[in-house]
Amino acid sequence: MRRFGGSPARTISRAVTFLVLLLVTVVMLYPFWFMASSAFRSLQQYTLGLPGLSLASWRLLLQLLPIGQQVLNSSIVTFGSILLILILSAMGGYAFSKLSYRGSQLIFLAILASMMIPVQSMIIPEYTNLSYVGLINQYIGAILVYTALYTPFATFLMTMYFRGIPNDLIEAAVVDGLGYLRIFFRVMLPMAIPALATIVVLEFIQIWDDFLVGLLFLQGPDVRTITVGLATLNAARVLNVPVMMAGSLVSAIPAIIVYLLFQRYLIAGLTMGMGK
Amino acid sequence: MAAATHPGVARGPRRRVARHTAQRSLYGVLFTLPVVVIEVLLLFLPIIQTFYYSMTYWDGVTAQWVGVGTFVSLFQDPAFWRVLLNNGLLLLSVPVAIGIPLVVAYLLHEKIWGWKFFRSVYFLPTAISWVVIAMVAVQFFAGSGILNHLLAPFGVQQNMLAGEYPAMIAVVITFIWSQFGQNTIIFITGMATLHPEVYEAARIDGANQWQIFWRITVPLLRRFILFAFITTLVTAFSALFSLIFVMTGGGPGYGTTTLEFFVYQEAFNVGQFGFGATLGVVLFVIVFAISLLQLRLLQRED
Repeated sequence: MRRFGGSPARTISRAVTFLVLLLVTVVMLYPFWFMASSAFRSLQQYTLGLPGLSLASWRLLLQLLPIGQQVLNSSIVTFGSILLILILSAMGGYAFSKLSYRGSQLIFLAILASMMIPVQSMIIPEYTNLSYVGLINQYIGAILVYTALYTPFATFLMTMYFRGIPNDLIEAAVVDGLGYLRIFFRVMLPMAIPALATIVVLEFIQIWDDFLVGLLFLQGPDVRTITVGLATLNAARVLNVPVMMAGSLVSAIPAIIVYLLFQRYLIAGLTMGMGK
Repeated sequence: MAAATHPGVARGPRRRVARHTAQRSLYGVLFTLPVVVIEVLLLFLPIIQTFYYSMTYWDGVTAQWVGVGTFVSLFQDPAFWRVLLNNGLLLLSVPVAIGIPLVVAYLLHEKIWGWKFFRSVYFLPTAISWVVIAMVAVQFFAGSGILNHLLAPFGVQQNMLAGEYPAMIAVVITFIWSQFGQNTIIFITGMATLHPEVYEAARIDGANQWQIFWRITVPLLRRFILFAFITTLVTAFSALFSLIFVMTGGGPGYGTTTLEFFVYQEAFNVGQFGFGATLGVVLFVIVFAISLLQLRLLQRED
């Protein structure tokens, strides 16, 4: 194709461009390579720069952190929140796009505006309120906080998506005698699967990776998430780099897998947030 | 609706339409109720409480009303201005954080060999938690870290995390690295909306790549640059807590304490919940103002 045609100047410029992009790739990938390669070396191999691979750091990591429990805690909180977010945003999006009532647009705007609230600005009363009702160190407490934080964007996505479904379709279903509840389950939800999938992928990464909410609302060692557990390793000044990198790898791998499989949904989510 | 407004039609259908409208409203209310309840209780209520508590002396249990005096003493607190300076440094880093991706996106969008691979690699940090990024960043910038190994041949040795400003620069570099992919995607998306004929015309007129970039691509991408600028700035001001927590703990001194980090520290480490709320209000006002500015500017663009 064009790569082989064109003037020599053009070919050189393309080659330079390619090299620049390759250099950027090294800068972007180096931290991952460092993490993965250090994790499989013993402390001695790492500090003295000796060659060879070892699982010693993994054994130490398993002694220091209840990895299985923490991954389970992260999963419970992440999937619990995603489920609630899907339910609330699908219902809300359906109503805001197809079942408008007096004041519904104002409520929709308020929910959009809530996306501009920085977490830190509401987190102090949130913490004292939840501790007042005894929801600290309970999965459901963290799940509720995540749901409150991420449902507004999901509702925005669902509303935009449902707006693209013609009103005639709803009218026809009503004429056919379907109630609004049945229309939701039989007509709207099946059509919304791409939008729902986008929300699942987006929120999985956001919640799995989160630190602050876990730090405050799930403090007990038995309910701690993997991200918070990893940070305690750092705070405990465990000066063992391979162990810390092994822990980082455990925490990062689920998100990396989701990223590699569903990258296009993430990009879709980003661009949907961009346009109107 | 047509049946309802038509005068000659019997009353039956009209009533049925009215009943349908009422029913639709009822379902509308019912379907929005869950999201409204959650957001009111867990988002709107606490933000209103933050405003109330910002004018109190509050230790988390009992609150004593003080009034706007809390803001007066906040503005007289040198620590507050030191922290705000760090937010200023973050603001200064934003042009770099969007400038590099803009150039790289320009290089990428010509569909050079392997562009899909490059795009995937660049976007990867989006999937990684700040805690993991910070753990690796510490190993990079610390005294015995990778950076010093790389610099050793040049005789330069410094633990960047030990000095106030070097530590802030280390945080900023990590931040720029992590935002690179996201901003690149934003600009690639933007460039895909430009018509190729514009470039062809410019090339025929004898413009070189550099001129095309500055005179055509950048002006036409104003809307996307604005979006990337605001998103990056809001991230810098309100989503770097975890990175700072693990990387530097806000130190040394107030070296890497941003407003957002200060809120957490004052409330949950020092136990001054009221002061934390006062800071929370300042943070809210700043971030909300930035977001509103974005809306205004984007509307003007349309």
